[in-house]
Amino acid sequence: MPYFSDADARTIISTTYEKAQGSRAVAAMLYAPEELAVLPPGAVALAFGVNHPVRHAGLVRGERVLDIGCGAGIDTLLAARVVGSHGRVVGLDMTPAMLDRARGHVAEAGADNIELREGLMEALPFPDESFDVIVSNGVLNLSTRKSRALAEMLRVLRPGGRVALGDLVLTDTLPEALMKDPTALAV
Amino acid sequence: MLRKKLFNVGFEAVATVDRRPFRLADLARYPLFPPEFLDFVRRVLPSELDHDIVQTVVVTGRRPISSTPRA
Repeated sequence: MPYFSDADARTIISTTYEKAQGSRAVAAMLYAPEELAVLPPGAVALAFGVNHPVRHAGLVRGERVLDIGCGAGIDTLLAARVVGSHGRVVGLDMTPAMLDRARGHVAEAGADNIELREGLMEALPFPDESFDVIVSNGVLNLSTRKSRALAEMLRVLRPGGRVALGDLVLTDTLPEALMKDPTALAV
Repeated sequence: MLRKKLFNVGFEAVATVDRRPFRLADLARYPLFPPEFLDFVRRVLPSELDHDIVQTVVVTGRRPISSTPRA
């Protein structure tokens, strides 16, 4: 049973990330220097993923990719470079302020195979079988309805389509006092 | 648990392809974890658990070719 309602969780996440200032500290921990060198500095500074799912997604040129919780766009941009001009990447985020930042970074990168959309992972705004691959980085752990979000991913993937999800997992139970803190919803 | 959730909704070939410790010092890099929260964690979490209680993973899976999604 989650300690937070959907609405509470979304408010906590949106208000936190719309004010977020970056530092490159997360990107430096997760990505190779040569990957970061070709990306807009703002996208690098506002990387808040927890791993590198694009590296493990096995993307190939021409694929249709959905990046759920794209934030300022770092994984969206990396995926777009791999799938190339015959592919397409859609970045989805629920926070308008982060999408505004991502739009700026996409324009700065000159990436014309990226579309950015506002929406929730638990109600993906796409028809069935729209994508070949879904990536997501440090986002599913923020959902209070993870199984619903995963079922939506399955729905919008084509048969044979793939997911690569970067996430945080617990290996033990956290103390209850910690679980009730609003920021604990991230794990 | 995450792999089980993927399997339960209908994914196949579910696997954890990367797994690493994620420590308090790593959490400090994120805006969702302000200093006062991290201080709180240090007070309530036994120090020996910091090394492995949270891990970062990449889990992969595939939608089966021949089945329809389960709601």
